[in-house]
Amino acid sequence: MEEITEKKTPLISLVGAPNSGKTTLFNYLSGKNYKTVNYPGSTVEYSFAPLLEKFNLTGNILDTPGIISLNPASPDEKVAISSLYYHPDYGSPDVVLVSVDSSQLSRHLLLVQQMLRAHFNIIVVLTMGDILERKGFQVSEDALSKRLKCGVVRINGKTGAGVPRLMELIELSLSSKKTESKFNDPEFDLHHKLHEEFHHQHERHHRRNGDSSNHRRRHFSLLHLLSFFFAKRKCHDEGAHNHGNHRSINDLEKLHGVDPELLRNSHKLIHIFHEIEKIESEVLVRIDGAESSDKQKSNFNAANNQPDSFTIKIDSILLHKYWGLLFFVLIMAATFTSILWLASPIMDLINIAFSSLSQYVSQTLGDGWLSDLLANGLIDGVGSVLVFLPQIIILFLILGLLEDSGYLARGAMLVDRPLSKIGLNGKSFVPMLSGFACAIPATLAARTISNKRERFLTIFILPLMTCSARLPVYALLIAFVTPQNKPWIGGLLLATIYVFGILNSCLISGIINKFLNRGRKEVEDDSSFILELPTYKRPVFSIVATDTYNNAKQYIKRAGPIILTLSLVIWLITYFPNSNPKVDETNKTRNELVQLKNSERLENSYSAYLGKFIEPVMRPLGLDWRVGTALVSTFAAREVFVSSLAVIFKVTSTEDKLQNSILKQMREATIGNTGQKLFTTATIAGLIVFFIFALQCISTIAISKKETGGWRIPSLQIAFYTITAYLFSFLTVNGLRALGIQ
Amino acid sequence: MKTASDLKLGENAIIVDIDTNHPSSRRLIEYGFTPGQRIELVNKSIFNDPIALSVRGSLVAIRRKEANCIKI
Ligand SMILES: Nc1nc2c(ncn2[C@@H]2O[C@H](COP(=O)(O)OP(=O)(O)O)[C@@H](O)[C@H]2O)c(=O)[nH]1
Ligand SMILES: [Mg+2]
Repeated sequence: MEEITEKKTPLISLVGAPNSGKTTLFNYLSGKNYKTVNYPGSTVEYSFAPLLEKFNLTGNILDTPGIISLNPASPDEKVAISSLYYHPDYGSPDVVLVSVDSSQLSRHLLLVQQMLRAHFNIIVVLTMGDILERKGFQVSEDALSKRLKCGVVRINGKTGAGVPRLMELIELSLSSKKTESKFNDPEFDLHHKLHEEFHHQHERHHRRNGDSSNHRRRHFSLLHLLSFFFAKRKCHDEGAHNHGNHRSINDLEKLHGVDPELLRNSHKLIHIFHEIEKIESEVLVRIDGAESSDKQKSNFNAANNQPDSFTIKIDSILLHKYWGLLFFVLIMAATFTSILWLASPIMDLINIAFSSLSQYVSQTLGDGWLSDLLANGLIDGVGSVLVFLPQIIILFLILGLLEDSGYLARGAMLVDRPLSKIGLNGKSFVPMLSGFACAIPATLAARTISNKRERFLTIFILPLMTCSARLPVYALLIAFVTPQNKPWIGGLLLATIYVFGILNSCLISGIINKFLNRGRKEVEDDSSFILELPTYKRPVFSIVATDTYNNAKQYIKRAGPIILTLSLVIWLITYFPNSNPKVDETNKTRNELVQLKNSERLENSYSAYLGKFIEPVMRPLGLDWRVGTALVSTFAAREVFVSSLAVIFKVTSTEDKLQNSILKQMREATIGNTGQKLFTTATIAGLIVFFIFALQCISTIAISKKETGGWRIPSLQIAFYTITAYLFSFLTVNGLRALGIQ
Repeated sequence: MKTASDLKLGENAIIVDIDTNHPSSRRLIEYGFTPGQRIELVNKSIFNDPIALSVRGSLVAIRRKEANCIKI
């Protein structure tokens, strides 16, 4: 099987505190020639790559999310830690590189000490030596190696010096492992045990389902689904189960021969720190080689315990009572405007590219269903996935820059207080910010929130953020009500919608929080906010780019298949059953004919039946079956609303800008044969309100289900947002009408 | 007994004890807040909470509620 070959290639895992230089090291070892992989059943991404050929050593290297100890506090840490013990796809690591920031030796040695106690085969990689050297000190590799009884190597993150030495150590460590008798090797046993158990589960699962498919991925997700149901019944512990790990950390620790108490007990932890302090004083040496006296060392210790003065200075502005708030608002405003304005020309380009491609295909292939499937189902489907990429990429570039420079943690700190009042957490800040590009990466970002209630509430309100898919819809609707000579009204309206999204989410979160707290005796739960504020520094573009690439890839992997499948389904129900309608062909150009046929086809399609079926529901909103049909199609992605309207309202002109022709048709549309206008200020306002609330995005629902570990939250979301969307849309339309605004 | 939450801006103190009954105490210890360490209140958020403490040469933001289990 696949796994046997995988086992033959040694696995080298990379762990360490956030910002300790893991990714920098990973790039040196793999030459950035990596792929991102998933921990099966979860959404935490890893970079995975073979070692560079020049090192003459076969091995795969796995970069993991940062952890500061072997005790997980949040779901992402849970996944990171259990993958350290055993990664279902790659097995247990043969050697673990623990990156340790030399300038934060005492804090980062905690993880090293825990790893040693948990019997991992580790090599300590000392990074950031240059920062420590500026203070006149360095860490003695030999002394630390003797003290810890494991390999220690200094790596310069800027030049890569020390990498050859690291490779020697890795090779040594791997070969000494191989010569050991496998039966005496506890890790081999562990691997074996886990492996067998795992296959047992597989087999059982197979038998139950009579499924002989060999596809591993699917396997895993089904297995996890299954184990989740079991887990739910057996224990209410918000254990790793919820996040797709089929095995709790406790089990893994036991299999690894670790006493969990040794890792978790506070007194033991304090004891480890005391030991570390002794080690620190032994291994810190002066660069000039002179014996440093105890006095010098204690001077150094005092100096080293002073935080970076540059950082303190900047913080006195960025965390200032008034200036801090001003900068926060400015930075956020700059972020939003760049997401909107930088992305829009690229999005236009993508739109144009895909629509010309689709036109080209339908023209070359002719009229058949296949041509239509390719042009309007497939190509448009792919287009509607890719069109969001620019905004997502720009968002993550900005988030990455803010993070690598050190500001993001401050932002989270600034908003923690207000957010905690409404049941959220300072750490909800990044997910909420991401929500303005797309709810999918935003929901994924919520897994850093340790408190379950806060995490679920954050995920719950994320669909209220004005995501990029709504933008084309708002653009069209706002253009409808904006007077030609006063374009600024449109801008103002759009800004209002964005602000409204934020206020709305806070309000709803606050109300739900009140509601949740009502029955609760003790409001004080394990809600917590502990966050390291990194030193400010100039962001490194290659690191930011790596993260952005990973996030963009993740978006395509998560949302892509869903949006694409749904686009195809929507195509099916809009194309059939009347796939070849008869139209009056006299005096019409080919283009007009095609468009006429499209409209005829749609009018008698399944989706139109569906639209007509829900027409009674649309009526109170002042809308008819045609808008209903367009709304049904938005489940693929909200922006599909615009192109659906175009088809439904028989927009024929191709020379004019699409939006203008749709607008023209919209202005003329009447309800049935009553002569009453379909689109009025009131109904358009109602539609906008509908889009503000409605959760018409299957991908978001799917991701929400995955991240919350069940259907409870997503079904609540669907119910809540559908009802509020409908209710408030109804109130808006009829309220405006009561005020005399048609 | 005084706690880290009683510190004024720029004031420092030595940790005497950590209240291990508090649910966040283990996390605080893992961040390096252990008895004998010198901490300083280097910054406060706009709303006075959370606060930024320096410990072992790095800055950690924690809520006042959590600072209460750091006895000084
Ligand atoms: N001064 C200095 N900076 C480094 C060194 N290694 C990495 N960095 C920087 O530290 C930051 C965090 O590094 P990264 O590899 O992303 O850490 P990770 O979070 O552990 O993956 C980046 O901006 C790196 O450029 C080093 O040896 N010296
Ligand atoms: Mg990294």
